[in-house]
Amino acid sequence: MMPDATPLASADAISLDAISKRYGRTLALDAVSFAVREQELFALLGPNGAGKTTLLHILSTILRPDSGTALIGGMDVAKNPRAARQRLGIVFQEPSLDDRLTVRENLELHGLVFGVPRKIRRARIEEMLALVELSDWAAKPVRALSSGMKRRLEIARALIHDSKILLLDEPTVGLDAQTRERIWAYLRRLRTERDITVLVTTHYIEEVENCDRVCIIDGGKVLALDTPEALKQAHGQSLVRVTPLTEADSAAISAQYPDRLTGRQGTELTLASDDAFIAAFLAEFGTRISALKVEVPSLETVFLSLTGRELRDRAAGAREQTFAFGKRGGEHTR
Amino acid sequence: MEWHRALMVQLGGLYGLWLREVKRAFRDRGQLIGGVSRPILWVLILGIGLNPYFRGEVYGAVTFVVPFTYLQFIFPAVIALNIMFTSVQSAVSVIWDREFGFLREVLVSPLSRTTILLAKVLGGTTVAVLHGCLVLILARFADIPLTPVDVLRALGLMALLAFALTSLGVVIANRIGSFQGFGVFSNAVILPLYFTSSSIFPLDPALSRAQTRVVYPDWLVTIIEWNPLTYAVDALRGALINYNQFDPWMGITVIVTACVVLFSIALYDFHRM
Repeated sequence: MMPDATPLASADAISLDAISKRYGRTLALDAVSFAVREQELFALLGPNGAGKTTLLHILSTILRPDSGTALIGGMDVAKNPRAARQRLGIVFQEPSLDDRLTVRENLELHGLVFGVPRKIRRARIEEMLALVELSDWAAKPVRALSSGMKRRLEIARALIHDSKILLLDEPTVGLDAQTRERIWAYLRRLRTERDITVLVTTHYIEEVENCDRVCIIDGGKVLALDTPEALKQAHGQSLVRVTPLTEADSAAISAQYPDRLTGRQGTELTLASDDAFIAAFLAEFGTRISALKVEVPSLETVFLSLTGRELRDRAAGAREQTFAFGKRGGEHTR
Repeated sequence: MEWHRALMVQLGGLYGLWLREVKRAFRDRGQLIGGVSRPILWVLILGIGLNPYFRGEVYGAVTFVVPFTYLQFIFPAVIALNIMFTSVQSAVSVIWDREFGFLREVLVSPLSRTTILLAKVLGGTTVAVLHGCLVLILARFADIPLTPVDVLRALGLMALLAFALTSLGVVIANRIGSFQGFGVFSNAVILPLYFTSSSIFPLDPALSRAQTRVVYPDWLVTIIEWNPLTYAVDALRGALINYNQFDPWMGITVIVTACVVLFSIALYDFHRM
């Protein structure tokens, strides 16, 4: 779905203006500004520690920004947090269900806490359970659920009250491919059925292809924001992966195209390419390679060209640990 | 009526969170086993076992005459003990909520933090009073005749005591970073408070203050006199076996003060978090 299909008249569901947040000496968010349109499926893409979770915590009013303003449906989250929370449905990265209560009890509690009148609450609980296909599990304790089911339950829970905007922090992390696909299917369905805006953070690049717009964030800065197609056109780079026959061939190719060389794994080389290059390359080295694979621009290559590194799961480095510490400190301790 | 609607949301949330606390407590088998076994061990085993040795005679001279048996004497204290264990245990779930994310779900709700904390404390209070009632059921084994008025007075005191102790538990839970297990609380907070509250032995009521300090070690008397729980247990004794070691008004004053002060501290901490 192209963003142009969204009527321009529609107001912004979320708007961020120069949001900054610092944890000690680390700048977690550096003047982040962007807007999410109503009924958009908006992805925030970035590696662990990019500032995605911090941003979501600011939007969900549990963390105050050092500077800048964040609006949820026109409501300033710092000035009017309770009104903002009424409109938000939030699925945090770590599950926040009560294990000892049943599936239905968890939803019931959420409805009570958000002041949803009994009749609407009952009806919506059934409706949401059906949506996430957990109706048969309603009377089971949450403890008995798999992690994928828990995630689905959390999505259902975030929609028990009149949430207009759904914030999800890495909703698919740690889930198997099938469950991940299912969760995305729910999100897409929700947007059409309930007219809600969805902001989702992820570091799985393949997942954002179906989103309306993608915001790439790293080191607390917005690097790019556009539709997946536009990002690919603007920043994407075609690549060829070649497997030379021998070490010597590999060395010869590297020597010939030092500027185009973007990666090397053993003898396998990755070269920046375009149509003319492939023809010229094959003419010269066609007999000295065993395989050649052309990679068209993907969001993976977009990310690579924007940040200079690949988006992969990494172990938490010192920086991420600082973030994690700050996150904890910002909410709980002191 | 905007404020009316807002109030209803807070009350609904209060009810929901209170119900959660109560439901959770009854699904926790360990807590239930403790709640049942403690009164049985303390009242039936320790109480009945020590009953014959509880006499007013020391070294051949009658120094104090008490109008009750040991079983009767210890009974109100066991109620306090059961309440203490349960209250603090409920409060400690604050740590679980914090570490396992449930607290966050509530913090992003329209509920005020006061409502959230009040629900937690009231939930803990309810469960603790019910656990206190598990002891109360044994009243006839301890040979304590109770009128409905006695029971109501006792329940009132138990509720106030439970409220104060749950608040205390929340204050402690908020101040400790990590959870090392409930044993820490039981050994560092509950049992010391319990043993130094004149719960399992009386200070001789026939003695003057000066004489008491001669008969008993000075430090022990001082600790007992400074322990607020002493006065709470004393108030419960007043209600159940009609015996007070201290001024009857002292107990209720101490408990109510503890409720107000401890809940205020808990509230302050929670708002600052």
